[in-house]
Amino acid sequence: MNLMIPLLILVPLASALVIFFSGPRANKGLVAFGILAALLTMLLSIGLCFQVYQAPSSLTGVPGVVEPTIEPKVTFVSETLRFVLPISVGGHPIDWQLSFGADGISALMVLLTGIIGFFTIWLAQSQIKNRIETYIALLLVTISMLMGVFLSTDLVSFYIYFEAVLIPLILLIHGWGDGKNPQAASKRFLLFTLAGSIPMVVGLISLAMSPQVHGQPSTVSFSELSRIASQAVASGIPIGSKDSWAVWLLLLGFGIKLAILPLHTWLPMTYAAAHPNTTSLIASVVAKLGLYGILRIVIPLTPVALSIEAQMVIGTLGAIVIVYGALIALSKDNLREVLAFSSLSHVGFITLGLMSLTREGLGGAALQMFNHGLITAAMFWILSMLEQRHGPISLKSQDRGLAAQYPKLAVLLVFFTLAGAGLPGLNGFVGELLTMSGMMRVCGTLVAIAVLGTVLGAWYGLRIVQRLLFGSDGPRIDAHGRALAGTDLQWKEWLPLVCVGLLCLYIGLFPMRTMKLFQPDTDRLARLVEPVSKQTHRDMDTLAVQSTNP
Amino acid sequence: MDLIQITKATVGHLTPEIVLLIGGTLIMCASVLTRKSEREDLHVERSNYAFVSLICLLVAMATRYWQGVPTVIQTDLGAFRFDASALAAERLTFLGGLILILMSWSTAPKGRLAEYYGCLLIILAAIPIVGASNDLVTMFLGLELVSIPTYILLGIVKTDNSGAEASLKYFLLSAFASCFFLLGVSYLYGFCGSTNLAVIQASFGEGKRLMALGLLLAICGLSFRITAVPFHFYAPDVFEGTSVTMAGAMSYLPKVAGFVALIRLIGTGTLSAGSSSVVIPVLLGCAALTMCVGNILAVAQNNLRRMMAYSSVAHTGYLLLAFVALIRQDASPGVMFSYLAAYAAMTLGLFACLGEIEAAGGKSHLIGDLAGMFHRRPAASIGLTVALISLIGLPLTAGFWAKFMVFVGTVADRRVDSMSMLMGALMAINAVIAAGYYWRILSTLYSKNESNVPLRVFRPSLFFAYTICTVLTILWFFVPSAM
Repeated sequence: MNLMIPLLILVPLASALVIFFSGPRANKGLVAFGILAALLTMLLSIGLCFQVYQAPSSLTGVPGVVEPTIEPKVTFVSETLRFVLPISVGGHPIDWQLSFGADGISALMVLLTGIIGFFTIWLAQSQIKNRIETYIALLLVTISMLMGVFLSTDLVSFYIYFEAVLIPLILLIHGWGDGKNPQAASKRFLLFTLAGSIPMVVGLISLAMSPQVHGQPSTVSFSELSRIASQAVASGIPIGSKDSWAVWLLLLGFGIKLAILPLHTWLPMTYAAAHPNTTSLIASVVAKLGLYGILRIVIPLTPVALSIEAQMVIGTLGAIVIVYGALIALSKDNLREVLAFSSLSHVGFITLGLMSLTREGLGGAALQMFNHGLITAAMFWILSMLEQRHGPISLKSQDRGLAAQYPKLAVLLVFFTLAGAGLPGLNGFVGELLTMSGMMRVCGTLVAIAVLGTVLGAWYGLRIVQRLLFGSDGPRIDAHGRALAGTDLQWKEWLPLVCVGLLCLYIGLFPMRTMKLFQPDTDRLARLVEPVSKQTHRDMDTLAVQSTNP
Repeated sequence: MDLIQITKATVGHLTPEIVLLIGGTLIMCASVLTRKSEREDLHVERSNYAFVSLICLLVAMATRYWQGVPTVIQTDLGAFRFDASALAAERLTFLGGLILILMSWSTAPKGRLAEYYGCLLIILAAIPIVGASNDLVTMFLGLELVSIPTYILLGIVKTDNSGAEASLKYFLLSAFASCFFLLGVSYLYGFCGSTNLAVIQASFGEGKRLMALGLLLAICGLSFRITAVPFHFYAPDVFEGTSVTMAGAMSYLPKVAGFVALIRLIGTGTLSAGSSSVVIPVLLGCAALTMCVGNILAVAQNNLRRMMAYSSVAHTGYLLLAFVALIRQDASPGVMFSYLAAYAAMTLGLFACLGEIEAAGGKSHLIGDLAGMFHRRPAASIGLTVALISLIGLPLTAGFWAKFMVFVGTVADRRVDSMSMLMGALMAINAVIAAGYYWRILSTLYSKNESNVPLRVFRPSLFFAYTICTVLTILWFFVPSAM
């Protein structure tokens, strides 16, 4: 029993309700209250990380004993969370125990949500002009639902939170979007996400029912289900072909959330229509839900069906999306769209790492999920500060020379661009290197394609920097001959960027310290899936062996 | 038990229905007996009738409450059978009846208040009779007792051309459907030599084709009541040509009656392999068609009533999937009753919110009529929003569990039949299509356009009606076992 977990979900939710019900009268006070609530949530998430970091592993490690691949180190289980539907299935009443908990991977994502959530709300006070208290309340609801997704350790609560994230997000896009046609964008976002998540529930239910094949009652607990999956792998029982349905339905749901190639069209539209401050949360955390779902549900619970059916398909799509996203980002002029496609491209690396199903790949993917969250959020924050000063930013006009006008902003923009492009010493490098070295053991061709993406990534990154920041000096003159006046970043604005930047630098310099948090969990997962993947890919490791042999 | 004892027990158990029947008849007589005084205010008259019918319903509920749940020994009483399904049907009917009477308070037709409330009460009495029937004769009587007052209601709530079209169409097609049902039932009787459902269900195993034919014909008859696809044509016209309250009633009450009759007729898990190999594919195909046709046609509508009619068709498709799971013994009838309860809360809530606009003299026929409603009528808009989110099936509403349970019931037997996984996926696709048109209504509510929604009229009864629905919709999410 750990109260940290319910607090993480309930603190933002309760403070959002307080803001909703106190109405628009006490505007200033409510904004401060919302920021304080978000700060408390961030502190709680850091606390959770420390708890998980220090918690001893409960696994015995005795050889020959099948152990679950998902092991929450900090748990919250309560009898009141027993979930009874008024139906029975196959003669058994539906009686599932809901539970919450965190292992290293979820703690990492909770930390990301806490940090990005707090700074997004912090920046909202200067970015959002109308109905700011409602905006902050909706952001708090979103944070609470995201915490719920990352902290739930059973299928039902995972799915509830996964769906519930949608409701505040549509309202945020619909109500505060300032781009082209936010109504159409929010509708597309809703329909695309539902098109993935409703079929996904069929897959989730069939996972929950799968223990009945072995004569056990249906269950929704992650660790229980993963133990059954490990058992099936250990005893060599091939999982029936009917499981392929479940895998594809799950991958459809998560694939739409992470915008895998043919299903990505909602992403640029949403990112271009929503306010950049909202987009920073969507791009950095909400887009990770799909990846997290694959890491948490698809890989540990259906390892065999995944590696037989989908590993190479999704891996290839991931490699293609890296290049595709980078190319489109190069050709776009609207900075919002450039950032949207660059985010798409970077997520491709994480997909590649996950689909390698190797130790390095999984660890790198988990780390890169965190890294990409930090970098993307920072880029969208910078975009929103620029748009506040200049209106929509187009890369068409060259030589804007903003560096002379905004030196602080220029330094930060260059820093985060380099982090995104994967400069050694910054965090992007570590994650991308690990994901690619993981995939190297499975399929070298895909890595060759992906490397192309890093080159293109540096290209469009430097294009942003060149066109926006450099070209000429001195105060710029706009089309009507007036001198452009603008102030450089206030402390309120640069503080979040510097904090996140320092974190990026820290992870880049000492990646192992960060990875200690979740390495045991990804390693355990890799021990399950690596042999399975090796069975289906006979030539796996040939590349790695060749390169190590003199 | 001898006949007298059985009759006594039956009358005892049917007390709530008898109360409603007597109440309904007395209210109808009241219009003849009371002289209309010139001075009397229409408002007072409306309140009087609505209040009396509400009292009738509350008395009926109270009798059931005091009587308690029938014990096991008394459940099978020849023509009637009082088990969990019968009680669930009664609960559903009374819940719907309560909301409908509150909605009628300010939307009932002016000159025909007595007939209106009398017919409504008789329908409310008839559905539990269908639910409790254990005999083909009582079932048919119950079904007709639902239909005949419905003809009258459709005829009196609206007297213009569209109202006449609606009632005539419903009358002719309903009579046609009843004939189908009777034909099927006569085959069943001819084969089994008994009208008792227990006897009929026991002989499902024999005579493959004849039984299957009888069953299919009876299902056709009932498909009309639940607006399953080849028999759905009347729904949009009837919804369009009647009052808001009656549209709500038409989307809910016949559905309860039809599905309860289906559960009674086919029972749970009594089908033999022979009959089920005929009946289940037909039902599955019907469910698939119903879902797809309902949702696809709903997308094309601009008229809110027609859209809701097709949406009600689509929900019938989901319920049919649950019914197939029920026949296969993969799920308990609870799936369907919970779905119907959630459906009652969301769909009646939606119509109650529309009723508030109509009662204030506004229009709610087209989706565009609701533009900017949130800025004019925030309370009703929030009620409408909750109802629509529930219809989409997102979390924090009862609609989420309703869909989830149908999915559970459908997917549960995937090891036996790979069709079930396909049906689950098909239902998922349909749910997404449905989200599209519900979202259209939802985003219209919050648009910043010039609004035509009337202001200033507050009807407490309608407010209570949609508040009850909204609260139930949200409450049932957190306590799904209470659904």
